[in-house]
Amino acid sequence: MRELLGLLKEIDRDREAGPAVEARVLDSFRKLQRDRTLCRIYAAAAAVAAGLLAAVAIPRHASNATPPPIRSTLVPSPQMPRAAEEVAPPAPPTLLGSAHEPAHRAKPRPRAPVATDFIPLMDSPPPFERGEILRMVVPAATMRTVGLPVSEAHLADPVEADVLVGQEGLARAIRFVSYEQ
Amino acid sequence: MASEAEMLSRALAGDERAFTALYHLRQGPVFRFALHMTGSVEMAEDVTQETFLALLSAGRRFDPARGNLGSFLYGIARNQILRRIDGRGFQPPPPEETASPEDLLEDLTRRETVDQVRRAVLTLPAAYREAVVLCDLEDASYEEAAAILECPVGTVRSRLNRARGLLAQKLRSAKWVCNA
Repeated sequence: MRELLGLLKEIDRDREAGPAVEARVLDSFRKLQRDRTLCRIYAAAAAVAAGLLAAVAIPRHASNATPPPIRSTLVPSPQMPRAAEEVAPPAPPTLLGSAHEPAHRAKPRPRAPVATDFIPLMDSPPPFERGEILRMVVPAATMRTVGLPVSEAHLADPVEADVLVGQEGLARAIRFVSYEQ
Repeated sequence: MASEAEMLSRALAGDERAFTALYHLRQGPVFRFALHMTGSVEMAEDVTQETFLALLSAGRRFDPARGNLGSFLYGIARNQILRRIDGRGFQPPPPEETASPEDLLEDLTRRETVDQVRRAVLTLPAAYREAVVLCDLEDASYEEAAAILECPVGTVRSRLNRARGLLAQKLRSAKWVCNA
């Protein structure tokens, strides 16, 4: 009996699934990776958008409420990125046509972008060959997901971010961008 | 060379080359297991495809301490196979036409014998069939087969003995019919 089964084993030893199966499996794999990347980017976009709102909206609110304006809504910490720390409060509002208005309105200085370092999004990424950086607006909650402190009230605020997408379409790292005023 | 666990980890992180390498390494045994269990190339290819797609979603459950990746894949494939052959009164397909014009008489006889064995295996109850396919056709150890079939090693041994006995009966009667 074992000899007969050995014969069957020998005949079928090299049989395997056809190339069409491999093509279908790899198509599904790529689609899955695309979907996952999109999910991560959407989540990151939502989080960074919330962060940007936090960085912009709260200083205004704070400057109206208290004389020493709060420089940022984000909780200060040693890990705090420059981008979040250097959000300056807006100037106090002035009345149009008042005596204090200067004769020549000063041109607004161009805003200089301030970015954090890239923060990895994958624990053990596959080897990096090439990629591209996508600028997007994400909620501030994204900053919290990578360990940056954001106050609860501003998790949904928008923040600009650069997402580094690798050759396989996966989001590998993110950095947050703000502007000096 | 990376271990299969490392390759799986990289594949789950999105590394297509690691996933492709794993596929090339493991699709043959999965396909043959499904083929010997179902007797249908089409169904075996479906099972192979579904097994590797399931690996992408269930791969994080793989624990190298509990067995190798091959056993893990056989386990997934087995579920796919049982889902397909359960509840539809299993009918073994007719033998495949494998003879080519240059086949010699000896080759024809050999192939005829192999077809008889293949059909006999396909008519075994599923529990016996999977024991024979894993241990006798795919060289799984009793321990590996027990892990895949989720039963004690002793059960694998007894199913295997019973399966071989049934196969011998079936082949004897087939030969008797052929010779009559």
